[in-house]
Amino acid sequence: MNAPIIDPLQGDFPEVIEEYLEHGCMKCIAFNRRGTLLAAGCNDGSCIIWDFETRGIAKELRDNECMSPITCVSWSKCGHRILVSAADKSLSLWDVMSGKRITRIVLQQTPLQARLHPGSSKPSLCLACPLSCAPMIVDLNTGNTTLLKVSISEISNNGPTSASRNKCADGITSFSPTAACFSKYGNLVYVGNSKGEILVINYINIEVRAVVPIPGGSVVKNIVFSRNGQYILTNSNDRIIRIYENLLPLKDEVRALDELNENLNDLHDVEKLKAVGSKCLTLFREFQDSITKVHWKAPCFSGDGEWVVGGSASKGEHKIYIWDRVGHLVKILEGPKEAIIDLAWHPVRPIVVSVSLNGIVYIWAKDYTENWSAFAPDFKELEENEEYVEREDEFDLIPETEKVKGSDVNEDDEVDIVTVEKDPAFSDSDMSEEELCFLPATPTCDAPEQPDKFVESSSKLMDSNNSGSPLSEEAGPIEHTVNHNSSPVEDDAGGIRIKRKRRPSEKVLELQAEKMKKPSKSSK
Amino acid sequence: MATNRGDQSFRPYRHLKTLTEHESAVSCVKFSNDGSLLASASLDKTLILWSSASLSLLHRLVGHSEGISDLAWSSDSHYICSASDDRTLRIWDATGGDCVKILRGHTDAVFCVNFNPQSSYIVSGSFDESIKVWDVKTGKCVHTINGHSMPVTSVHYNREGALIISASHDGSCKIWDSKTGSLLKTLIEDKSPAVSFAKFSPNGKFILAATLNDTLKLWNYGSGKFLKIYSGHVNRVYCITSTFSVTNGKYIVSGSEDRCVYIWDLQQKNMVQKLEGHTDTVISVTCHPTENKIASAGLAGDRTVRVWVQDS
Repeated sequence: MNAPIIDPLQGDFPEVIEEYLEHGCMKCIAFNRRGTLLAAGCNDGSCIIWDFETRGIAKELRDNECMSPITCVSWSKCGHRILVSAADKSLSLWDVMSGKRITRIVLQQTPLQARLHPGSSKPSLCLACPLSCAPMIVDLNTGNTTLLKVSISEISNNGPTSASRNKCADGITSFSPTAACFSKYGNLVYVGNSKGEILVINYINIEVRAVVPIPGGSVVKNIVFSRNGQYILTNSNDRIIRIYENLLPLKDEVRALDELNENLNDLHDVEKLKAVGSKCLTLFREFQDSITKVHWKAPCFSGDGEWVVGGSASKGEHKIYIWDRVGHLVKILEGPKEAIIDLAWHPVRPIVVSVSLNGIVYIWAKDYTENWSAFAPDFKELEENEEYVEREDEFDLIPETEKVKGSDVNEDDEVDIVTVEKDPAFSDSDMSEEELCFLPATPTCDAPEQPDKFVESSSKLMDSNNSGSPLSEEAGPIEHTVNHNSSPVEDDAGGIRIKRKRRPSEKVLELQAEKMKKPSKSSK
Repeated sequence: MATNRGDQSFRPYRHLKTLTEHESAVSCVKFSNDGSLLASASLDKTLILWSSASLSLLHRLVGHSEGISDLAWSSDSHYICSASDDRTLRIWDATGGDCVKILRGHTDAVFCVNFNPQSSYIVSGSFDESIKVWDVKTGKCVHTINGHSMPVTSVHYNREGALIISASHDGSCKIWDSKTGSLLKTLIEDKSPAVSFAKFSPNGKFILAATLNDTLKLWNYGSGKFLKIYSGHVNRVYCITSTFSVTNGKYIVSGSEDRCVYIWDLQQKNMVQKLEGHTDTVISVTCHPTENKIASAGLAGDRTVRVWVQDS
């Protein structure tokens, strides 16, 4: 994009809290495809859409029928639709631009996770993972739900049991959620079950095509694909995050599975599924904190798949671990002492957004440093000291010759001022429809106009015979006129957003956390 | 003068209409991004909205207490921001003609203004030597950049809205990161001549910069070298705006202090036409986004907006 003069962003990860967003009590977050908008589901059933550039609220999706906490938000690929699942067992599909609800479906159980189909721009299918039964595909147009199988034993029973309870490894029935996600283009669904297996399911015919057993066999809590579809991670109850490499081709998965099936015709049933599975995914790395053995919460990949981020699930601490894909722990981000409930990495930039237990969204970004070579055209930054040997006549005074700043560029070359290069991060933009990148900002109207104080202040000073000195009465406009300060104006209306705090110390963060607990004014 | 590209020769523009509604020098004209409206700003403290098709007066926006130096359209063509000598900027609703917001903060006349492509921020440059970035929704100033030692003559966002370019009377042209307000590059650093105007090309890769020594240069800001020079016009005193014309071949269009509008071929750098008719310095020019139409504005001795079209 701006590659020539901005440092390349490859291999970067956030370091400090840049800002925090506060509006009600937010529970879950999701970026849109380009990372220009951040949707946050709140405790009161509404969904706030933040403009991520200005850090202001762009839209509020609120409807009277849903007052219970939102459990998950999911954007459609084109950015025009948002799917919201709530604790009152409902799924609502909203149109972002108009802020209107398109449809609402009530399920039998509360969906803990809901994902819109990633393949189409106006998806009508979604994947919902309820609390206590198998994940299902919901058709948003008709309301039909199709349960997916969660264990291989069900295959031999010919069909899923209607209220299948997940059994833990030790056989005790428990209502542990099953994790599921779509593959990159939505052709397959990958389900992680309580036996520690990944099932690859073709949801169109509800057929399990492959099985990948995870070493250790413990309950899978999360299963997430990277943005480019090449890696998948699983978060298991044994406190290990595992990265698998996806061996199937990204677009033709079903056909590749068919081929694999043919090749392994001599095996049957479970054996065959496991064999196919070993050709679909291969274990790449395992991450765990071997010292504290902490459970992980909301792990995910960075936008380019180079980094993996996971939050510590321990209450009372806000720790975010960042590993590079090879497995080295590169950073632990520590925030104010509240548990993390959700985490997301920006699709393009080295920014991580985390939601704390008390509903505040923290934005973590790189700490920027001034680039001193920017201050003059011929300044250059050197990596290290260089020996410089000057020319024989470099410092001679030659009064006659004019210093001609000749350009060594061929002035007759064609210059192209209109072609725009496609952003490599979004190579699969084959949208037939315009993608929603940002919501238009409407300026909030000023209070009815008072006569311009700058011009009339002198006459006002003479006329005023109110109590208080004329100087203090005119403190407003005079303040403006002598405001030569160069610091950015801080928003002082109730501390809604504090800008650019560099590395707040622990004490300051604690003080801020204290302030949050006091009733804060609701923002505009 | 035929170009070497061989497909068509340059068809000259001809004068279509003269709009005489302003009572004082017209400082700026701009077509809206959808091409339906033309806005003009004047030292008579008002802005006028014209229909771009019929060139009839639609609205007169009154409210500033001093003359206006610059105006900018939002990307959806709903809002206009004007920069005035009364130290404020005003955001107007283009459909109704009402002022929706006043941005206060500059301590001297505001000289130049522009929206970012998402139209969520406004950048303004002022005689108080600072550049301010404003949040459109709330009207608050989010950055103040004190990077110049003399009045800021021009500010512009690039195509993605990540960079801001600023030009100043102190002879420098600087590129800033719009998110953090930090300096990314200094393009020109000579003390003179003053840089009177700078803007990004449509694809954001090049910069067109005007200096008060009768020169327009096209720079590649990545390499820091200029690629083309355009001259032949007169520009010693005023901050004359220039622009790219891309609807029918690639040209550079600029006003001039010899009362003409100059059009150069972008690649060959030769002047292809000189539009005469104004009776004073042509301070501002604008090209319609889709049609082959140019509008130009003249200073106090002229006070008109003239519209030129190309015969098809």
